[in-house]
Amino acid sequence: MEEKSLFILKNIKVKIKNRIILDNISINLKKNNITGVIGPSGSGKSTLLKVLSFLLTPYSGEITYKGIALKDYNPQKYRKTVSYVQQRPYLFPKTVRDNLLYGPKLWGIKYNEEELYALLDLVNLDPVFLDREVINLSEGEKQRINIARSLANKPEVLLLDEPTSALDLLSTEIIENLILKLKKQDLKIIVVTHNLEQTKRISDEVLVLNAGRILDHISIDEFLHSRSDEEIRLYFKKQSSNGGNQND
Amino acid sequence: MIDWLNNFIDSALLIDAGRRIILSLILLAIMLGLSRWQHTDLEGSFIYGFIRGLVQIVLLGFILVIIFSLQSLLLLYIILSLMIVFAAASTRRTHKYPKVFEIELAGIAVASYTIMTIVIVLGIIPVKGEYVIPLGGMVISNSMALSLIAMERIYSDLEHKKGMVEAAIALGATPRKAMNSIIRDAIRASLLPSTNRMAILGIVSIPGLMSGMIIGGMNPIIAAIYQIIIFLMIISSGFIADIIVSYYIIKIVFDPNGALKPDYSIE
Repeated sequence: MEEKSLFILKNIKVKIKNRIILDNISINLKKNNITGVIGPSGSGKSTLLKVLSFLLTPYSGEITYKGIALKDYNPQKYRKTVSYVQQRPYLFPKTVRDNLLYGPKLWGIKYNEEELYALLDLVNLDPVFLDREVINLSEGEKQRINIARSLANKPEVLLLDEPTSALDLLSTEIIENLILKLKKQDLKIIVVTHNLEQTKRISDEVLVLNAGRILDHISIDEFLHSRSDEEIRLYFKKQSSNGGNQND
Repeated sequence: MIDWLNNFIDSALLIDAGRRIILSLILLAIMLGLSRWQHTDLEGSFIYGFIRGLVQIVLLGFILVIIFSLQSLLLLYIILSLMIVFAAASTRRTHKYPKVFEIELAGIAVASYTIMTIVIVLGIIPVKGEYVIPLGGMVISNSMALSLIAMERIYSDLEHKKGMVEAAIALGATPRKAMNSIIRDAIRASLLPSTNRMAILGIVSIPGLMSGMIIGGMNPIIAAIYQIIIFLMIISSGFIADIIVSYYIIKIVFDPNGALKPDYSIE
């Protein structure tokens, strides 16, 4: 069973400034599917993505990726393979081309014009965007470039932190279609989301977090059938009493 | 050395200096008069400040007489080392960044020892206390000031551009690569004012060192050459201190796996 596991997390604990954000989490995440990470604000969803992307070192516990402990990977090479996409698109203040080629330049990956156009096409953007300054892009376009910038590194896993939270319906649909398209290309995708309908549309399974602990790791259908409407609303609720934070 | 000090105290120079101080009391009297006239209530502060400043500066003068007579390189380096430690320690009072003393000590020490050793070994300045100590002091204080500017700029830019730095790290950049533009901007911000001051030398300004040397009777051409040398010493040592400080900050804000520490803080 472990052979098929992409990530294995054992007793992961994350403590920031003496506050426990993730509390003894143990999970197996398999390849080639889409995992929706859900839970109320402050439940540790974004922190889990950062731990998986090696952007946060747990206080204790062990993580393996493809059977090898994370600490045995070169962190930079690992982050190229397991790519974390931030909730807000922090693009470098240059052109779209510069942003798309940032990762490939680090890794010596060559791109010709056609390949760059294909990358833009993947996120439904016209080739004319390539030499546009990012300052002139809409939020939806920025988010799509944000994802395309990660894809330019040719990752095996994409970790998306609420990719559509600030987007209009059209941009949301484009990104959801992109996620489904990427799944067909054998990419493992883990998405943090607050959107129930989106979870139903794109996720094969859900990981339900609450107060830093895993409540469930089941298929979306099982989840919807096993919970009351009120509970489901709670897990997708955006605001909590602590207002949520970037260590969410 | 003591003989020299005795001769100095007995000399006409001291009598002349005393005469000048007494005459300059007229300026103090004008200050007191203006204060009384304008009801600024500063008379006590003026008198206290003058007496305290006079005693301190004259005492310093006596200490400098002894230090300037030193020609032992080891002793000169020991004095420079003490100045470096004092300079680094003074930053702790004014700047509350994490490990500011350690960072500044490393930056100022590497920069000052490197530059002072180069100018001494190459014979650009003589191995005499009267040259090594004041020029060393300028190098040390400027290394401190310039690297503090760089440090402030790095921390403030990092606060504003944290998301972008994290994006670069997530794409596989090393901390140094992810911080490239922040560090470049910080070094430029710290060095450009001195570089500009060097470029307008002689046209807009006659800086302190040159003015002091001319007043002290030095040939203005020699004084001008020392002035340009000190600018080169200040900028090069500032550059080295900036680089050391920026590397040290990277060690503080990133974890050993090259990710931004979630709990690094500027209090």
